[in-house]
Amino acid sequence: MVSGLRAGHGRAEILSGVDLVVEDGALACVLGPSGCGKSTLLRVIAGFHPAAAGRVSLGERTLDDGRSRLPAERRRIGYVPQDGALFPHLTVAGNIGFGLPRGRRREKAAELLALVGLDGLGDRHPHQLSGGQQQRVALARALATEPELLLLDEPFAALDAALRTELRTEVAATLRRAGATAILVTHDQEEALSFADTIAVMRAGRIAQQAAPHELYHAPADAAVAGFLGEANLVPARLDGAKADTAFGSLPLTADAGTARRGVVLLRPRQLSLTADPLPGAVRARVTRSHFRGHDHRVELRPDPQDGLPGSLIAYTDGPWPHDDAYVRAQGLAHPLDESEDTPTAVGS
Amino acid sequence: MFGTRIGAVRPAAALSLATACVLALAACSSSGGSSSDGPSQAATGAQALAGQTITVYSGQHEQTVKALAADFEKRTGVKVDLRSGDEAELANQILQEGKASPADVFYAENPPALTVLEEQGLLAAVQPDTLKSVPAGDSSPKGDWVGVSARTAAFLAAEGKPADTAPPASVRDLAKPEWKGRLGIAPSETDFAPIVTRMIKTDGADATKQWLLGLKANAKSYDSNESLSAAINSGEVEGGVIDHYYFYRLRDEKTAAQTHAKLHYFTKTDPGALVDVSGAGVLKGGKHQQAAQAFLAYLDSAPAQTLIATSESYEYPLVAGVKGKAELPALDTVGQVASAADLGDGKEALQLLQDTGLLA
Amino acid sequence: MSTPHSARSADSPSPLPRWRAAGLLAPLAFAIVAVVASPLAFVVVQAGQAGWDQAQRLLGRPLIATLLWNTATLAAAVTAATAVLGFGAAYLVERTDLPGRRWWTVALVLPLAVPEFVRGYSWVSLFSSVRGYWGAVLVMTCSLYPLVFLPVAATLRRADTAAEEVSRSLGRGPLATLWRVTLPLTRPALAGGALLVSLYLLGEYGAFAMLRFTTFATAIFTQYKLGFDAASAAQLTLVLVALALLLVLLEAGCGRRGRVARRGAVGRRAAAAPLGRWKLPALAALAALVGTAVGVPLYALGYWLVVGSSTTLPSASVLSAALTTLGYAATAALVATAAAVPVALYGWRRGTRLARAAERAAYLTRALPGIAVALSVVHFAIRYAEPVYQQPPLLVAGYVILFFPLALTAVRAALAQVPPGVEEVARSLGTPPLGVLLRVTLPLVLPGLGAAAAMVALTAGTELTATLLLRPTGTQTLATQFWVYTSGLAYGAAAPYAALMTAMSVPPVLLLTRRTLGTNSRTEDSR
Repeated sequence: MVSGLRAGHGRAEILSGVDLVVEDGALACVLGPSGCGKSTLLRVIAGFHPAAAGRVSLGERTLDDGRSRLPAERRRIGYVPQDGALFPHLTVAGNIGFGLPRGRRREKAAELLALVGLDGLGDRHPHQLSGGQQQRVALARALATEPELLLLDEPFAALDAALRTELRTEVAATLRRAGATAILVTHDQEEALSFADTIAVMRAGRIAQQAAPHELYHAPADAAVAGFLGEANLVPARLDGAKADTAFGSLPLTADAGTARRGVVLLRPRQLSLTADPLPGAVRARVTRSHFRGHDHRVELRPDPQDGLPGSLIAYTDGPWPHDDAYVRAQGLAHPLDESEDTPTAVGS
Repeated sequence: MFGTRIGAVRPAAALSLATACVLALAACSSSGGSSSDGPSQAATGAQALAGQTITVYSGQHEQTVKALAADFEKRTGVKVDLRSGDEAELANQILQEGKASPADVFYAENPPALTVLEEQGLLAAVQPDTLKSVPAGDSSPKGDWVGVSARTAAFLAAEGKPADTAPPASVRDLAKPEWKGRLGIAPSETDFAPIVTRMIKTDGADATKQWLLGLKANAKSYDSNESLSAAINSGEVEGGVIDHYYFYRLRDEKTAAQTHAKLHYFTKTDPGALVDVSGAGVLKGGKHQQAAQAFLAYLDSAPAQTLIATSESYEYPLVAGVKGKAELPALDTVGQVASAADLGDGKEALQLLQDTGLLA
Repeated sequence: MSTPHSARSADSPSPLPRWRAAGLLAPLAFAIVAVVASPLAFVVVQAGQAGWDQAQRLLGRPLIATLLWNTATLAAAVTAATAVLGFGAAYLVERTDLPGRRWWTVALVLPLAVPEFVRGYSWVSLFSSVRGYWGAVLVMTCSLYPLVFLPVAATLRRADTAAEEVSRSLGRGPLATLWRVTLPLTRPALAGGALLVSLYLLGEYGAFAMLRFTTFATAIFTQYKLGFDAASAAQLTLVLVALALLLVLLEAGCGRRGRVARRGAVGRRAAAAPLGRWKLPALAALAALVGTAVGVPLYALGYWLVVGSSTTLPSASVLSAALTTLGYAATAALVATAAAVPVALYGWRRGTRLARAAERAAYLTRALPGIAVALSVVHFAIRYAEPVYQQPPLLVAGYVILFFPLALTAVRAALAQVPPGVEEVARSLGTPPLGVLLRVTLPLVLPGLGAAAAMVALTAGTELTATLLLRPTGTQTLATQFWVYTSGLAYGAAAPYAALMTAMSVPPVLLLTRRTLGTNSRTEDSR
């Protein structure tokens, strides 16, 4: 859909060769830190910003090839910005029906209000709605014209945590029900992982990796992607074929590493477990920090000085760890990463 | 609202007809007859011009010019589009418009505005017969504009104040220290500079400069003759130099009971006893030369002069045989006409006024 | 947009995409700026004709320094005084429990309804001691403070009071909060109002002449009136343009440092600050302000109506002059507002340096004396638009050029209230640019457009200098009739025209107040 895309503001290049493909009917997510160019990418796709080079296409249609552009209003692409940008002078029903021919507005507005769970609020004005309600209206408005693609630019960022999770789940469900193809832009990896069928991690104007959430989480392309998606333990290893020899013993690899060499493997905090007894393959460590997070405990440990281990390890445990010391074990598949010069020991957000 | 302009008559035919018309008007004025015999005589000669419309830019007293225009139209059938404004602004407007100016006639309050246009070559020569109907000194020496009416500078004093009981004999006295804090002047008015020009001629530039400095030390400056007369009437200042008619207009507005000012004339030979003319000229670029010349001829005809003399503008007519208002002293007893040649374009006076700081 | 091509181009990019993407807005905006800034070009060209020696002679005069000093000190004092009064009054009506706040709001804006020549004359005729520097400061402050009051009051009304509450919670008293939070909050509005005030003071001549105070504009006027020397006048005018440029840049600096607080999703009004024992002094201060600013001109008008012996009952000529005035003022208001929309929209959509420069150039004309602007219109029209010369469209054009900055200010303020992104969302919903303009942007700025139109109508309806020079021959407005009579000393005859002008100005003032402050449902809800 998007290939070799370049775009910029004035002389500053913001997108330097972006490739992104979203299957029909899929919910995609562009994940990246602030300033990586993800909003600009969305605006180029929507037609609000010109591409300098490359190509944006939707199905068979070319939308922008760096020379000629299809105006935004003819792209059939819906857009939900961060603050909703509801039309303050129109009622909720007026907002939803905005893009529709006059005759169909009423009926369709009622239908969409039901879809986003706001029955009966059609006559309100935007300023009479809560933040969450405003976002739902913005979504309904974008869906009303039955766009071929829906773009959501951090639509949940301004909401409080509980509402955010709830609305996110709801929106994902709504979009799936509507059979819509959508791209969500966010800097929140939890949002990305729970929302999307496919995630593109964006970094400095390029897509670093695009994959399904599970694959991306467990088999990231590099340490930075790994760290951006969640906390990661990067453990030095000797890679040999399908196995990695680490301080935790020998672990199976996610993919064949080929001929033997030194490298680093990724172990997510959930792959580490703590025991009181020195079982085989367990590494002794001192607990440096531990706190309760509701659904689990996050425990930070400093392994006893030992070759082949990073300075600190992170594990998520179901219950609190009552001791100062622990034996750490690793399980599951280890994912090999290419070792870069300054591979962080434990990276995370 | 959209003015219509009718195309000019063919030049050759028009010229002869116009001459006839002007002659008719001249005859009318030389006959010295009252307004009753005007229409029938003028009508015969003016028929060719009838239906034309001339545009007159006028810096003169609007009500009077309106009456003149209506009378002219009645006599000749030439319609007058009157554009009243400040004479200086109108002159500036014509300077910007240049040859494309829609104006046919410029009727100014003071000679300098006309002289500036004359210097720029924007005025056409006035028909000799029109020039002849007023004294030669009242018109441009080059003959590009003609005098129409006159007024004299005088001293307006607050009633009962020392300035009223012992009015100055000469405008020169006003620079003396005993007038300190008692005077008002309106140096930015176009009427004031001619007195300065006149003084430069009679006393020389240096003496005039000293006089202006004295005046500056003695007087409060007002933005207009209207404010100055009001200030004198209210006693804010004791007196000031002003054209005679401001007194009469003030009296008409305030009623005699409310008027607390008196007019004193300087001695006839004094530079302050300046008789200044209002004149009119024909724009060279105008499309209705004949009708415009006819309008000038009309202004200096007996009926028009009578209208001016009897109007509430309180100006003196220039044509011999037409009497001014009875309550006004005869013009030749209160001042002497400054010839237009003497007044020039007023640049020298302006320079002095600026040098002395009376003007910015 | 719905051409027969649309079916084909729905599948491939449109053949004229770049051009269409840029749209007509930029060329339109620049064309409008070129027209309204044409007097600047005129002044520059004329000044060039007089030559460098003449410029040195003119500017080398010792008096010039004095006049510059007069202008600068007057502008500084009046701007400061209007800022204090405008902000103070706005704070009282928007943030305190002052009794009759609604009524005061209207009364405080009413001085705008008094025509400027009535204002100057009324003071001089009633109080002969109101003269010179302090007289000018007094009269100008009284007449111009609403230009600051209105935008500041509007900002205070719209701004979320959270920041002020936080300040109080941090232990700052009401005065410290006023100084350190509320004042900075209104800085863009304050700066914008102050800019209009100071630009106006630079070019003003008539009122100062009446008050016997000479400013730099006096020197320019002398060149026109006694020297018939437009070129020298233009050289002097350039000095004013330079001063104006300085002010515009200064305002741009202030405006940028301050940020208009965006209305939160649930912005609310704070409980009014109790005035306590300050209630009476505050009431007295406002009463004194309104009494001086509105009372003096009204009294003078009444006096002339009753006392002047030339007073006649309003006749047909008054009526026709009133209708003419109304027609021109309304047309000028519509055209100026319509012209301001593309320029403001262009600046708003693209915050580029070029867009901002174009906006600012439009402000500079405000500092030119009216006669310079009018002569410039004469100059260009007779050369390039001869068919409309001295026709109604020319006078309208003159008003539009003169008062464009007023319209632009109001339209900009309205656009600043439009939530960002709504235009893009509308595009993405399949609405072509024109539809977006008609269905989203214009409806949202409509109240602001009303304010812009009212402001222009108000000023155009009482304009004199340009009216005399540009009107169709024979056309009489209330202002020209007033001038005809006052220049013949017939104040009584002139008074009905002035009174009618004032009366006719009241509805636009009310409209302006309502539109600028806004009485939308949200503020009503929260009251």
